[in-house]
Amino acid sequence: MSPPATLLLEIGTEELPPKSLRRLSDALTAGIRESLESNGLGADAVIGFCSPRRLAVQAQGVPLRQPDREVERKGPSLKAAFDAAGAPTKAALGFARSCGVEVGELGRVESGKGTWLVYRTQQPGGNVQSVVPDLAAQVLAALPLPKRMRWSDLDTEFVRPVHWVVLMLDAEVLDAQLLGVRAGNLTRGHRAHAPEPLSIAHAGQYAQILEQQGHVIADFSRRRARIAGQVEQQAAAAGGRALSNDALLDEVTALVEWPVALVGDFEPQYLRVPPEVLICTMQGNQKYFPLLDGNGKLMPKFIAIANLESRDPQRVRAGNERVIRPRLADAGFFWDQDRKQTLAARESELAGVVFQEQLGNLADKSARVAKLGERLAGTLDCDPALLRRAAHIAKCDLLTEMVGEFPELQGTMGRYYAINDGEPQAVAAALEEQYLPRFAGDAIPASPLGRALGLAERLDTLAGIFAIGQRPSGEKDPFALRRAALAALRITIEGELPLDLLALIEQAVAAQPVDAQPGLADEVFDFMMERLRAYYQGQGVGTLHFEAVLARRPRAPLDFHRRLQAVVAFTELPEAHSLAAANKRIRNILRQAGQVPEAFAAERLCEPAERRLAEQLRRVERTATPLFERQDYRSALNEMASLRDAVDGFFDEVLVMDEDRTLRANRIALLNSLSRLFLQIADVSLLPGET
Amino acid sequence: MTAESPETFQDLISALQRFWSDQGCTVLQSYDMEMGAGTNHPATFLRAIGPEPWRAAYVQASRRPTDGRYGDNPNRLQHYYQFQVLLKPSPLDIQEVYLASLSALGIDPLVHDIRFVEDNWESPTLGARGVGWEVWLNGMEVTQFTYFQQVGGLECRPVSGEIAYGLERIAMYLQGRDSIYDLHWGRSVHGPVTYGDIFHQNEVEQSQFNFELADTDALFPWFDACEAQCRALTAAGLALPAYEQVLKASHTFNLLDARHAISVTERQRYILRIRQLAQATAEAYYAGREALGFPLLDAASAAESVGT
Repeated sequence: MSPPATLLLEIGTEELPPKSLRRLSDALTAGIRESLESNGLGADAVIGFCSPRRLAVQAQGVPLRQPDREVERKGPSLKAAFDAAGAPTKAALGFARSCGVEVGELGRVESGKGTWLVYRTQQPGGNVQSVVPDLAAQVLAALPLPKRMRWSDLDTEFVRPVHWVVLMLDAEVLDAQLLGVRAGNLTRGHRAHAPEPLSIAHAGQYAQILEQQGHVIADFSRRRARIAGQVEQQAAAAGGRALSNDALLDEVTALVEWPVALVGDFEPQYLRVPPEVLICTMQGNQKYFPLLDGNGKLMPKFIAIANLESRDPQRVRAGNERVIRPRLADAGFFWDQDRKQTLAARESELAGVVFQEQLGNLADKSARVAKLGERLAGTLDCDPALLRRAAHIAKCDLLTEMVGEFPELQGTMGRYYAINDGEPQAVAAALEEQYLPRFAGDAIPASPLGRALGLAERLDTLAGIFAIGQRPSGEKDPFALRRAALAALRITIEGELPLDLLALIEQAVAAQPVDAQPGLADEVFDFMMERLRAYYQGQGVGTLHFEAVLARRPRAPLDFHRRLQAVVAFTELPEAHSLAAANKRIRNILRQAGQVPEAFAAERLCEPAERRLAEQLRRVERTATPLFERQDYRSALNEMASLRDAVDGFFDEVLVMDEDRTLRANRIALLNSLSRLFLQIADVSLLPGET
Repeated sequence: MTAESPETFQDLISALQRFWSDQGCTVLQSYDMEMGAGTNHPATFLRAIGPEPWRAAYVQASRRPTDGRYGDNPNRLQHYYQFQVLLKPSPLDIQEVYLASLSALGIDPLVHDIRFVEDNWESPTLGARGVGWEVWLNGMEVTQFTYFQQVGGLECRPVSGEIAYGLERIAMYLQGRDSIYDLHWGRSVHGPVTYGDIFHQNEVEQSQFNFELADTDALFPWFDACEAQCRALTAAGLALPAYEQVLKASHTFNLLDARHAISVTERQRYILRIRQLAQATAEAYYAGREALGFPLLDAASAAESVGT
């Protein structure tokens, strides 16, 4: 057998969407890898490449042929294949003919139900050259494209117009037509630096040829690392540190083929504008890296990544400085302009901004949030007057020019303008914190006021949008209710707020300007519980543990959390398994028993094992009850774990279903008491345990 | 080869006209009605509909009342110019041709960092959307580049390629000016004539009109009248006059918007009303061309068969 070969596929396109470039490349790479494997051509390594103008995959160590396969075709059963005299029937003859052989050449296959005629043949595997073109076409057709397009008068659809395709096995070009283009061995380099087509001599030399002759670093990670290195180097040379993040680095990497970092300056006077605004301008609009000095303060400089080794770098630098100047001037103008009016003075304008047609304007919403927030003030230990104030001006920054231009600065600008207006520090902080957490892993509000405001705001939105019948369905969640629900839950749990969520939702629903369906609060509550499930799944908590607590439907998420922690700890105990199993068993007994007396009568317990269980149960009830009240479920479950021997002993030695009706009923009542004790915390019968 | 940069605004326009004329474009003139962009010119909006081939290039005066800054902002105007190119079907080398047009303006791709950055254009009022980029010149957006996928609610077959140059920005770049008003438009016997000489007063006065004086009481019924007229004209199969009513309705809406006379929720409804007009007009235009037997299609195939 010949040594394995290297396969190369490159799709050359017009500039691809940067934010989905990597995802697209990963999907293509995985598609080729899996498809090669499932076609008996599994490679040693499959590597993806991508740049603005190309998606490529290189598979190393691809076998040259698929292995031969034994194909088995089942025919009629022996009974149907031969008549009484042993002569082949029409069915047998027909089957043999369809296989192109005589009946005598067919094999036999046995199964439990009888014996059948069978035709076995070796199907020779195809060679790579003949298999790969179709395989590649299928993978390309199945790519999850963010947005398909057509171009010119062609019928082909792709993310961007396709101009060239390379499909090679070692030095050989494969005969293929992909995305409307005939495959060849010609790639293209950098638009300006290497405008002529480059010929690839061998599939294994792809990346080297592009880098050495084409001014293209085709490997995304390599390009990204180079950018990160250049940024760091330039920042150090400028006496600062670059403000970078993964998303920005990824996006910049997807926008260039040959990165060249350069430092630009802007007028120091703009440093009077809040740094968040400047950072937003530089990163968001221009994909620049801002620079910080030794004290963590912004410097009047930025790093841009050009896609060119310019013959006159000074012009590129000056050009970029020209772009940022009017943008910063705008930001400075908004900053000066917005501060001419206080946030509070804008409150009357909130009535002119629709929140949602049926749910009124932002003034209406702010009033609702203020009311709901006041109810939280006690638990959160914050001043109701401050809370009212914060709620009433919470949305006013949405009316400023700055937030109009930079919507992502909502809240942050609220804080700056509130400080400027002389609002209390706590109010200013709450205006920013109301939007926390903004994304998974983001911090929750630090201040009580911020927590109260953030919680009230989300519960009002959830109640309102559910009330008008627009709850999320499937992928559709236009009001981001899933995120709102999770944020509210995180605030109560991580902020350790003992709040009755259902009661709060009921109040929020009642405050909506539309008539809610009966049971709507429960619907919202259940929706939030589903988010809670996702929250714990993300933390690796088992579904059964979650279900065990959910079965009790605690109304306060913090209470839920404490029960869940206790249940998780409980299942680590050696007693857990057998107690879970016992509870399952008890549940079955109770279900079959139907009517169960409220309490058992201790004097009617006659067997030692049942008397022992009753005593132990009484003891644990006594010690656990104060623990329930303190929500110290973990200690309570520890206490309950000590029941294990008594419970096991009971089931080993006592016959619950005694013929004597009174004894039987009394024993069932005893078990019911035991079950109810556990149910104070969770339905442990749902936990893993052998029965 | 990179050419010398045009020195004045009018030279810039001439250079682009010459370049695209050489590419087989019919060089048209600005449409004589108020519109927000070169896309709204019937030579783009209507010609992009249906199967007939078409190549045109023209300067279009663009009006965006809300962008007015009373002549105070060096980068923003409520009246400015776009150089619009429509190539239907989009040629396969359209990006290369575009880059060559920049070279023709003296912009050397080995000196300047030129990039195509994803920006998918969409016009809710025109029922149009496309896929494409904004073109960056050293980080500055100088052109909008779009492959039309849908126009007036109709799928584009073939697809048109649209190139819209921001003339003022490019001119500021080439002339090295920080304010639009300092651009040299042309040269008189007395010296340079600046953009400000020509348009500053217009920006001041029109901003005042747009933001303060436009008579909303008159504009609301006027919008309704344009809408009714458009409906009647599409019903009569007169797509071209109907389209002018779409343009009038659209500009009327823009004025009302600048006066803050339309609430956020109402805004959506107005946009929808204009889109419905645009779609009805697009359908009428298609039907009209179809009734004529798509004459430019025949011309194209005749030219092809002569050529071969």
